[in-house]
Amino acid sequence: MESLADTPWDVIISGTGLAQSLLALALSRSGKNVLHVDRNPYYGGSEAAFSLQEAEEWANRVNSETGDHPFEDASIRLGDGSSETGTQLSASRAYTLSLSPQLIYARSQLLPTLVSSKVHRQLEFQAVGSWWIHRHGDGNDNWLYRVPGSREDIFADDMISVKSKRTLMRFIRHIGPSQPGVDEAGGAGSSLEEDVGDASLTEYLTSKFKVPEELHAPLLSLCLSQASPQQTSAHYAVARIKRHLASLGVYGSGFGSLAVKWGGGSEIAQVGCRALAVGGGVYVLNTGIEALDYPVEHAISDDSRIQLSLTNGESIKTKFVVGSNWDFPTETRLSCDCDKVARSITVVSSALESLFPATAEGGPVPVGAVVTFPGASLGEPDDSPPVYILVHSSETGECPTGQCVLYGSVSRPGSDGQALIDTAVQQLLQSAAGSDVKVLWSLRYTQLGRAESISAQPVSSPERIIRLPPPSLDLAFDDVLIDTVKNAWQTIMGDEANDHEFMTFEDREGAYEE
Amino acid sequence: MSESTSANTAKPSSSVKLVLLGEAAVGKSSLVLRFVNNDFQENKEPTIGAAFLTQKCSLPTRTIKFEIWDTAGQERFASLAPMYYRNAQAALVVYDVTKPSSLTKAKHWVAELQRQASPGIVIALVGNKLDLTNDANEAAGEAQAEGEHESSPAEGDEATEESQEEQDASSGDARKVPTREASAYAEEEGLLFFETSAKTGVNVVDVFTAIANAIPESSLKSGRGAGAGTGQTSLSGGRPAEDSRVNLGERGAATAKEGCAC
Repeated sequence: MESLADTPWDVIISGTGLAQSLLALALSRSGKNVLHVDRNPYYGGSEAAFSLQEAEEWANRVNSETGDHPFEDASIRLGDGSSETGTQLSASRAYTLSLSPQLIYARSQLLPTLVSSKVHRQLEFQAVGSWWIHRHGDGNDNWLYRVPGSREDIFADDMISVKSKRTLMRFIRHIGPSQPGVDEAGGAGSSLEEDVGDASLTEYLTSKFKVPEELHAPLLSLCLSQASPQQTSAHYAVARIKRHLASLGVYGSGFGSLAVKWGGGSEIAQVGCRALAVGGGVYVLNTGIEALDYPVEHAISDDSRIQLSLTNGESIKTKFVVGSNWDFPTETRLSCDCDKVARSITVVSSALESLFPATAEGGPVPVGAVVTFPGASLGEPDDSPPVYILVHSSETGECPTGQCVLYGSVSRPGSDGQALIDTAVQQLLQSAAGSDVKVLWSLRYTQLGRAESISAQPVSSPERIIRLPPPSLDLAFDDVLIDTVKNAWQTIMGDEANDHEFMTFEDREGAYEE
Repeated sequence: MSESTSANTAKPSSSVKLVLLGEAAVGKSSLVLRFVNNDFQENKEPTIGAAFLTQKCSLPTRTIKFEIWDTAGQERFASLAPMYYRNAQAALVVYDVTKPSSLTKAKHWVAELQRQASPGIVIALVGNKLDLTNDANEAAGEAQAEGEHESSPAEGDEATEESQEEQDASSGDARKVPTREASAYAEEEGLLFFETSAKTGVNVVDVFTAIANAIPESSLKSGRGAGAGTGQTSLSGGRPAEDSRVNLGERGAATAKEGCAC
């Protein structure tokens, strides 16, 4: 058998996270010799999905290998499940808990990319239905208010006064057409820049449209901003609200964003890796890059190869090396100027049906809901960041029937952030379920990454060693990732790269023939 | 079961993800080639990495569409397997009836599937290359399926088996793994069991039909790839209301090609 060392590799991809796996997909028909390694024993990197037991192993790894993962301070708590039927934790493998539950807007560039590369049929897409906002009344009453996320919703809403509805409709009309079919994805044009200037979302809504303050938080939740309305720029928010509106109805009525069944980004990552495996790529798990030896002669010719050694002891040669910072040997990593957020995954003993109402007649059954907790509703100052909880029903395949998975996030890392998420989870359960609902299991961790979608281009440093930027901390899939992958693909393909061939493939022989 | 909205066909259709595992050169790809194209190639090149094919299997009450992941058997591709058996509803673990070490490897795969794959996965143990044995012809139409094999004498009756094997060998029979040994193991582990020949086609379709029949209804409804399940959202617009599957391929124009009853 030919050993890894004997092959003249064109590309070594290190790590099987979403970025690397989409690059694997992009290279799957390139004819290049690709070796794809991951020092973890699982696929998916920082977008992996786990059973309960795998999650425990992951938490131990994160805590013991400090600095080797874009995660910190992982801890697991078993809940107070009783032995009553339906209120206890099921077997470990009944769960597929995702480190990347981010929702994908129908207008995201990811979807046409998955379609043109012919891998979308290996994935199951489901609808994220309602947005909710937590409100805290005088006294002790909490409730969840369904955010009117479409024009129809605004008309039907009976909480908003007619006058307020008028301001809201004026705002929506102003930010542009949102009819399905009109491409408004990410459409922050120059006119928008002139229009909003440096204003915050609060200032913009108040001064320009007189949208009453009580509607600021609902609008903020539609853009999934992880800062308070006062600290969210109108420029950022308006582009994202436009995306939300423009995504409605694209793939069916009543929803505009999607979730991927069986573990979100982890599934997409594995589809990418499978495509490269079918294309002849070689996969080795449990093996990372131990050391990089730059070529002896520094002037790089087309055929010169970088020598590197793998953690399994093999020494290999390759033209290109690609990976995220954490997939390179410690001493060759660049310093990471990362943002940090607190995140948690909570399994609860209720289907929380009230959060997943049918959003349109004949539309798909929603499997996901977004619940926003403005800082103030949790007793924090007005300008503190909101807590988001993405709720996934058992239809996502992530937990057994009768349970739900709550993915919490707040842009305040550490124990303060975890305490906020904890309170939010408790309030959610109080508002959306009876008092008998239990937290069965939870995982808390800090995640490192990019809060903004800037400077996301891969860095070639030194030449031919391509470093992917830190993963996005956005709660929705960040299209910048597609550009990142395309950029890396262009670097590797060199003169062979034709833009229109990026991720555009025919079905393979034997697949999907009728 | 949801009723199909298509006028052309009354039978519901479900997708089933199936993965093939087994030692190198036992005939995994050849089994798939026989099933999908009813074809056979002598001296087929080893599979590199993996291959993906689809084939339909029509049952009396439904159509099962197999999404078949054929994996390379060589050890250097061992890291691939978890990607394929994850969320698979069925696995075909193949060994070569003329090579005892391949059954040992098959047992390792079964153990790994039982440890790591979805709890409800349907596993079929398949002894291939039946054409190299004396049973080549008589086995036709006589599936050695679970529960169908003749009752065996006392367990561990190796002597009988071996003397039988010697006889076989003297008559030009290349069989090295007795049917009874493999079927007893399959029964113990709750696996479907078949002996096949990808070369002659014996029992090949039967394996897939048996798997299709063994997939629990519940798994077809909520399992991976279920084309007519609840909780999946359809992008094609032609799906039942309780469905939650969103189909990206048919944005705007329902071509009735993929994922729906067609």
